[in-house]
Amino acid sequence: MRKWLIYALLAILLYAFPWLIPSSYFVHMAQGFLYTYIVVVGLNLLVGLSGQLSLGHAGFYAIGAYTTALCTLANVPFLLSLVIGMAACALTGAFVAMLSLRAKGPYLAMVTIAFGLLIEIVANRWVDVTGGPAGLYLEEPSLFGFRLGVVEYYWFIAFITLVIAALVDNLFTSRIGRTFRAMGNSEVAAATVGVNVRNWKVLAFSLSALIAGVGGALFAFQNAYFNSDSFTFDKSILFLIGVIVGGAGTRLGPVIGTVIIFLLPQWVQSLYDYHLLIFGAILLFSLIVLPDGIVGGFGRLMGRRKQLTTAHSVVEDTAEEKSDDVRWAAERQETVLDVEHVVMEFDGYRAVDDVSLEMKGPEVRGLIGPNGSGKSTMVNLLTGVYVPTAGRIRWNGRDVTSFAPHQMAAVGITRTFQNLQLFGEMTVLQNVMVGFHLHYRTGFWANLFHTAAFHREERQFAAEALRLLAFVGMAEKAEETAANLSYGEQRLVEIARAMAVRPQLLILDEPAAGASHYEVEKITKVIRNLKDVGISIILVEHHMEIVMNVCDHITVLDFGKKIAEGRPEEIQNHPQVIEAYLGGEEVSKLVVGT
Amino acid sequence: MLQAVVSGLILGSIYAIIAQGYYITYITTRTLNFGQGDFLMVGALLGLTSLGAMTASGIHVYLAAVLTILLISAVMGVLGWGLERAAIRPLQHFLSIGWILSTVAVSIMLRNIAMLIWGRNVIPFPSPFGSDVYRIGEVGITRHELFVAISAVVIMACLFFFLNRSLLGKALAAVAFNRDAASLMGINPQRMAVLAFALSSALAGIGGILVGPITNTAFFMGATLGLKAFAAAIIGGLENPLGILIGGLLLGVIEQVFSLFNSAYKDASAIVLILIVLIFMPQGLLGKKVKEKF
Repeated sequence: MRKWLIYALLAILLYAFPWLIPSSYFVHMAQGFLYTYIVVVGLNLLVGLSGQLSLGHAGFYAIGAYTTALCTLANVPFLLSLVIGMAACALTGAFVAMLSLRAKGPYLAMVTIAFGLLIEIVANRWVDVTGGPAGLYLEEPSLFGFRLGVVEYYWFIAFITLVIAALVDNLFTSRIGRTFRAMGNSEVAAATVGVNVRNWKVLAFSLSALIAGVGGALFAFQNAYFNSDSFTFDKSILFLIGVIVGGAGTRLGPVIGTVIIFLLPQWVQSLYDYHLLIFGAILLFSLIVLPDGIVGGFGRLMGRRKQLTTAHSVVEDTAEEKSDDVRWAAERQETVLDVEHVVMEFDGYRAVDDVSLEMKGPEVRGLIGPNGSGKSTMVNLLTGVYVPTAGRIRWNGRDVTSFAPHQMAAVGITRTFQNLQLFGEMTVLQNVMVGFHLHYRTGFWANLFHTAAFHREERQFAAEALRLLAFVGMAEKAEETAANLSYGEQRLVEIARAMAVRPQLLILDEPAAGASHYEVEKITKVIRNLKDVGISIILVEHHMEIVMNVCDHITVLDFGKKIAEGRPEEIQNHPQVIEAYLGGEEVSKLVVGT
Repeated sequence: MLQAVVSGLILGSIYAIIAQGYYITYITTRTLNFGQGDFLMVGALLGLTSLGAMTASGIHVYLAAVLTILLISAVMGVLGWGLERAAIRPLQHFLSIGWILSTVAVSIMLRNIAMLIWGRNVIPFPSPFGSDVYRIGEVGITRHELFVAISAVVIMACLFFFLNRSLLGKALAAVAFNRDAASLMGINPQRMAVLAFALSSALAGIGGILVGPITNTAFFMGATLGLKAFAAAIIGGLENPLGILIGGLLLGVIEQVFSLFNSAYKDASAIVLILIVLIFMPQGLLGKKVKEKF
């Protein structure tokens, strides 16, 4: 309700602006502010939320401008041209994303820079079509036969801006936004709960490009003339400055950012000879003082405002929740994991060397071995993070050898991480809610428009997430930012998140590492409860008392080879295991003293 | 054609020199100077001024050239030190991309200052060695190009020697390999970061002096050259100095060859090359594929 009040207020303000300040110069400026803001909002979705980088957004801006403009010149109605322009941008965005999928960091930056420059060159040189530096002259835009004058066009821009701002804000607070943020925080963790990272990256790029294209199109018709000088690399940088200085990933950041990149230059323009100097100094200063951006910085100062969630009432002491109430327990079935002669080689080094193991679920299997024995590699193989060099992995009779992590999650295998991979910027509850990724039924549109089904589903999964948090004893921390938790608490949240996938096989990679003594006890209890629920577990752990007490069977690895397998009591007295842990014969002699 | 290849190699070697600066800072700090081009511009303009002053005061051309290179390296080194302190170190703790923008901020300030000092116009940068052309078969090489080629070889040799053989270079490599372990061994990573940026900026400055007589100089010359050097580094693989050398030469040659047909193709060809390389080898030509560990 409050949300709509704010939007209504904004709408009235935007509508009244030309009357409040009846000057065509200021109306013109307001137009510029709004379409720049649109682009920054779109870029914030990409950079701030999903953690990608684009130094070529001026390219999408240009494509939006040229496609829309050229369509109207070909006598296509303005509104339809705008839609065509948006579609063109979305498609190019998807294309650029697919080109840059494997590139990371500076390499990704380079792909986007190259894209931006390529568009700039085309705009400059393909004079027959784009007009190049001489520019394109357009007719005033018209809607259903009405010509839009300066003020009317301003209202049109304001309307579009408001719609885009509202929809993007909806995305931010929906599962789509959560998934984007999760992907930006930890790609691999997002993948292990079933997010197809590749598709989601393409979606993020595509959306962001589409929004930038709208900005470009609105810019093109502002003066009924534009030329290729507007689409430079500097422009791309400027958009990025708007995102970062405003506060990447925040909902209000783009407003402040646009003030900085649009209004500030207008103001210092009068000091022509010094304006770059002043702008640079302000930029540098704000980056140093407020590295999280202006909105982010203030947010920190004010103390993080607790987010209201729909499910607060459920928090009330559910900590005693019985494991039977955890819904996926009922869905379990007999499981068979069959690993056949699996080999993993890195540059000729065999981290896992011809290991076979069979697991008939539900069972808890311990996987132990000295450091460097290939346990973690084994976990990575079983969850699809690595694809084995040789050998086969079968799961319930199905060959899953070359499955990607999100496919593994889809067939019911997920994991926790030894080096914690929580989505640090998100709350504990949100972390677990991302875990339900595969179980959401509402689609993109429901999330975009916040339909009734969306609200229903959010409530349902928030409640379920709280139940899972109660199961691991973390319900009271549901609203805490995940990065602020202790090691042990983070491990518990990782378990809750993994359980949200409703797995049939849960792989716990050193769940007790780095936890305090008290936390180790808590984690042990949780693992026991998990066992009672009846899912299969592979437990990689160094704390022998946990392994020996919890596991049905234990597999021991050493130097990538399986050296022993059996019941805990057999393993404890296995000569080869003792040798692996204590060293060769000489060492044993030293230890024993003979 | 052969002519284009030769001048491409020479231009490319300049790209490679500038790009080595990206390499050094990237391996030590995981950041790089997005304003490298403007540092180059400052080097070029300062070099022009200092060469002019030295030759006017009667110092022999060759001596003046060498002195200028040393002087500019020193000045740029100091500038690099300032950059690290002002724009990199304060932003290091935050795993953000803030450093991209902070280095850009410094560079646009430099651009403005250069404009105030040297004016808005393109300044011709006459090579100190005159414009004589040597002919070898069909290929003509100006004396300046010869000078560039020799300098490039010398600088590359010095750099490789420094990185692989000297103690300081090994310390840099150690920080690159494992920052924490290096600091336990008594290497100060912060000092190494300063050193890396000083070196990187010095390389940009030298690149500026070398490229000035080829492209002429102006306060806005940096942006394109900086980007091309970045492209060279990315094509070759940011973490491999040999790759960067190859990337630079490749970029230079392709540009010059395509500019035979149409100047529009010149810039586009470079970009298409980058895109093709990155699509098939997302770590650059000689970059190493790293398996992340979880």
